[in-house]
Amino acid sequence: MADSSKPATRKAAIVGGNRIPFARSNTAYAAASNQDMLTATIDGLVARFGLQGEQVGEVVAGAVLKHARDFNLTRESVLGSTLAATTPAYDVQQACGTGLEAAVLVANKIALGQIESGIAGGVDTTSDAPLAVGDDLRRVLISLNNAKTLGDRLKALAKIRPGQLVPDMPRNSEPRTGLAMGDHQAITAKEWEIGREEQDELAARSHQNMAAAYERGFFDDLVTPFLGLTRDNNLRPDSSVEKLAKLKPVFGTGEGATMTAGNSTPLTDGASAVLLASDEWAEAKGLPVLAHLVDAQTAAVDYVHGGEGLLMAPVYALPVLLARNGLTLQDFDFYEIHEAFASTVLSTMKAWEDPAFCKEKLGLDAPLGPIDRAKLNVNGSSLAAGHPFAATGGRIVASLAKMLHEAGPGKRGLISICAAGGQGVVAILES
Amino acid sequence: MAVTVLDGPPNLAALYARAALTARGRGGALPDTHLARHGVPVDRDHLAAYARVCRLPLDDVLPATYPHMLTFPLQMALMTDRAFPLGLVGLVHVRNRIEVLRPVRADESLDLEVWAERFATHRSGATVDLCATATVGGAEVWRSRSTYLARGATAPDGAPEADVEVPVGALERTAATWRVPDDAGRRYAKVSGDVNPIHLSGLTAKALGFKRAIAHGMWVKARVLGALAGRLPEALEFDVQFKKPLFLPSTVTLSTAEVPGGWDVAVRNAGSGTEHVVGTIRTLEEKH
Repeated sequence: MADSSKPATRKAAIVGGNRIPFARSNTAYAAASNQDMLTATIDGLVARFGLQGEQVGEVVAGAVLKHARDFNLTRESVLGSTLAATTPAYDVQQACGTGLEAAVLVANKIALGQIESGIAGGVDTTSDAPLAVGDDLRRVLISLNNAKTLGDRLKALAKIRPGQLVPDMPRNSEPRTGLAMGDHQAITAKEWEIGREEQDELAARSHQNMAAAYERGFFDDLVTPFLGLTRDNNLRPDSSVEKLAKLKPVFGTGEGATMTAGNSTPLTDGASAVLLASDEWAEAKGLPVLAHLVDAQTAAVDYVHGGEGLLMAPVYALPVLLARNGLTLQDFDFYEIHEAFASTVLSTMKAWEDPAFCKEKLGLDAPLGPIDRAKLNVNGSSLAAGHPFAATGGRIVASLAKMLHEAGPGKRGLISICAAGGQGVVAILES
Repeated sequence: MAVTVLDGPPNLAALYARAALTARGRGGALPDTHLARHGVPVDRDHLAAYARVCRLPLDDVLPATYPHMLTFPLQMALMTDRAFPLGLVGLVHVRNRIEVLRPVRADESLDLEVWAERFATHRSGATVDLCATATVGGAEVWRSRSTYLARGATAPDGAPEADVEVPVGALERTAATWRVPDDAGRRYAKVSGDVNPIHLSGLTAKALGFKRAIAHGMWVKARVLGALAGRLPEALEFDVQFKKPLFLPSTVTLSTAEVPGGWDVAVRNAGSGTEHVVGTIRTLEEKH
């Protein structure tokens, strides 16, 4: 029996996006907080689509590196923004998957008819990063705070040792393995025999593609200048394989080390936001629909004990997504594979092409096959723009939606983002 | 009217020292001197430090109170000059009115000019207005008027009545409670350069007749602005009256009430209800 009271799901529309230029750590945004950047980014989006003083259904965003005081970062940013203060908001955190996951969450609520519009975003600063006191000192300070008498206080204070005064710096490493993300990826790169030259080629193309996109004005309605920066300051339009070849490896060891500062993303500060809505809401407001978020899938791998690479989860997420949508890997006009490292993109694609891997690990009869490289990251990706962890998803969703819109109706794009903790998010957009 | 153009910002600590040394023997009418600086860029690091100390969001638009950071040293230079009739020590900032004619961006360079006017009679002395204007490419974008009270001073014959009251409507609901720490004055002094001893420590404040150090009025005003971030018109007039000193440390409350065209605000002591700052923020209707 059909349940007529349950609304049919609909596809959420992507109306547009906004981000601030991304800045290498401790450069243009050294003095900006996550809240400053997210608020400015939301305000830029609001200004672009004339939403001043309006309430949207929900704002969902997050940051990977977050101060304890920022527990309600997104709501605080909304309260400081020009959106109506009655706009609900919540934080999400899925490492580098945060931005895309936020878009999926907003899109799902729109699909279910629970909200008509929403903003998905993300922000990260590695400059204004939270420092924590070491665990020993933290315990002393808590007991000092709880001490009732002067004697108790002195006793607590007496436990402080000079070595405890060095704060815990946030590190880009996996808590369970102690390895930096780059060191993890170096293992994967070695396993998949990813060469230095192909990594440098991918990196150079990312810079060249993004520089060309800036030149033809592609980012004019996607990026709002911030704190004097008008373009991502990691972008090197003159990047070349020859220049990149001169860099020394920074991850991995010995002869086989291939990963350099040039083919790995740098620590970056920045924020992005995407406006999603129902078609009806967009139409009523006279706003465009660039594309629809069709479907998404997350996956996770056991990189600790299971022998899979830390950043290989999207490889597993994709076949599930393709099967559910009756698509093959070749059915796309654009591929946006987040360039955490050039070797991540290359090992991801190599795994999809590998018959043994696809059969044994993904349980497929045939490999997913190759993708047309001419359709890959055509306007550059994280190697060029930089990668403020939680902001990358919003950057990609907005850019891809615009690319699909420009290409005309019925075009399809794939997003693949790997994340710390052995997780990955993949999504399909369609114009 | 004589306009003197300065190449750089005056040194405020030196001006305070000069003020202390030259307090005696002042009098007469206001000088008609205008002090100016041309093509003053905004130092983004300073803007960031200002935003942090005043809890303002950091972005590319200057907070309404920020140009005062650039004009205040010029006003100090004017007030500490021997030609200025009132001694700086003992001058109390009682009102500040800022008009933002249009949002000013941090990448714009400003032409600044300050002067004194309106020597006026007040029931407990005399007031004088220190005025400032900021223009970009010849068009005025920002202006301010700071009214200072000199207790016991006498305005010249025929002087107008002082105008220090900023009437506000009922402000009953508390929007926020702020704990203002005892180093609030030192922190703001470091950024603003306003090293008036009354703000720096209990001891230096006592020497000048205050029981404890007091918060800078312009810092309180900027914090009010921060509390209303995202809720303000682009072109605005922000007029505040500084009533009773905010002694450090204190816990204060901010009350805001939305009114046609803007906000009424009050900052009061959380315990006694003593009013420190009351003010109005209104959309600026450009007067021709």
